[in-house]
Amino acid sequence: MPAAVQSSPQQVQAPSNVPPQQGVPQQAAPAQAAPQPPVHSGPVIVLDPAHGGTDSGARGQSVIEKDMVLLIARTARYALEREGFGVVMTRNDDSNPSYDDRAATANAYRDVIFISFHISSTGTPNTARVYSYQFSETALNANAITANANSLPITPVKTTSLLAWEEAQRPFVGASHHLADSLQADVTLRIPGSPGVSSAVAVRGLRSVAGPAVAIELSNVAVTDPNQLVAMAAPLATAIVHTVIASRGAGGASGNPGAR
Amino acid sequence: MPRNFRITLAILAVAVLIGLISLRSLHRRIQRLSVAPTSEEQARRELLAASTSAPTDARVQAKIFWAAGPDRIAPVQVAMPLSGEPVKRAKQVLNELITDAPAADQRTLPADAVLLGFYVLPDGTAIADFSDALASETPSGILSEQMAVDSIRLTLENNVTGLSRLKILIHGQEVETLAGHVDLTGFFDLNPPAAPVPTTPTALSTPSGAKQ
Repeated sequence: MPAAVQSSPQQVQAPSNVPPQQGVPQQAAPAQAAPQPPVHSGPVIVLDPAHGGTDSGARGQSVIEKDMVLLIARTARYALEREGFGVVMTRNDDSNPSYDDRAATANAYRDVIFISFHISSTGTPNTARVYSYQFSETALNANAITANANSLPITPVKTTSLLAWEEAQRPFVGASHHLADSLQADVTLRIPGSPGVSSAVAVRGLRSVAGPAVAIELSNVAVTDPNQLVAMAAPLATAIVHTVIASRGAGGASGNPGAR
Repeated sequence: MPRNFRITLAILAVAVLIGLISLRSLHRRIQRLSVAPTSEEQARRELLAASTSAPTDARVQAKIFWAAGPDRIAPVQVAMPLSGEPVKRAKQVLNELITDAPAADQRTLPADAVLLGFYVLPDGTAIADFSDALASETPSGILSEQMAVDSIRLTLENNVTGLSRLKILIHGQEVETLAGHVDLTGFFDLNPPAAPVPTTPTALSTPSGAKQ
């Protein structure tokens, strides 16, 4: 079980690419000439270990979800920071921020990628699934529902206008699906047995994030040896790093219209 | 043998005899209890289920979506009497989904869950109101919660026409998530198939959320 670290859950870990309007001071350069990691001008990566505090999440005989996801998120954080990415954790201790608090951490940045970590209760052991948010198409215009709701068009919200907090993810659904697909493809190479394609599911924790957002769920808490889950942390972190770098190289965009 | 000793022996013999008789009746009562409904919710479900079928219902092949492995669901053909009226028909197939899973590991919904109500609004919105057990006993996790929702959604979609979307309530209330992950504040789209439901088993489904 990872030890709790008492620090601010919304602390900026590496503010090298934090937008200036956030008012976060740049860290002073170290006096010693140590090897500097590459500095990416890309998005801030917000890592979200799910649950925490009194909400343990799924529980197995030897695994508690809230602790395992914190360990896995920290592994991903180190891997991303080594590549020069700015990383923010929604929690870095045994606290339990609300869904809105977690989204607010991400929404404080104009260019952000949000990755939420979960461990399932069920599913094929030692696999990982990547999810992006799926909105109901019929919810777009409740007054215009027809017998065939699928015929309703999806009208993206212009990001220059105010976004409804409850639907902040809607303009980023396409970017999130693309990110989820890319990440799932990389994860499948590194964690055999994982599905080849990502899934679009209404994961509550992603709905209010104004940026590309995915949830990763490892399977599962029923494993007898927690090291089976720990062993997936490193390949998962590598997959995240590669996917984030590739997404930047492939057009630069995290898909965030606010990052223009 | 002293008289007191004989009286004591007689009392003891009578006590043993009474004990044996009570033990037998106690055993019978325990057996009766073991076949009785194990919870109030199950008793309520039996009551509701009895009221959802009618002699006029036609016996058809319904497609009920249960788990077909640790991470997917698939339709199972079940011959059952179904009403032609959408609300009754929906109650019948959802009760079947809850109560008659072919095996315990094929359950997608908790055995104690009860469909408390089912309504259809004029715009085709279906509202399914389940008991607390659906939220409290569904295993926590994106996958398990999505399988639960998909089994409800696909079972309705494949057996009841005229429904455009689904809203899931827990004990009459809107809740934020099913068991901590899947968002229940919104609606789930229902896409009634244009073609009639085939009577032969179909290929395994993918999770409905999976992109096609």
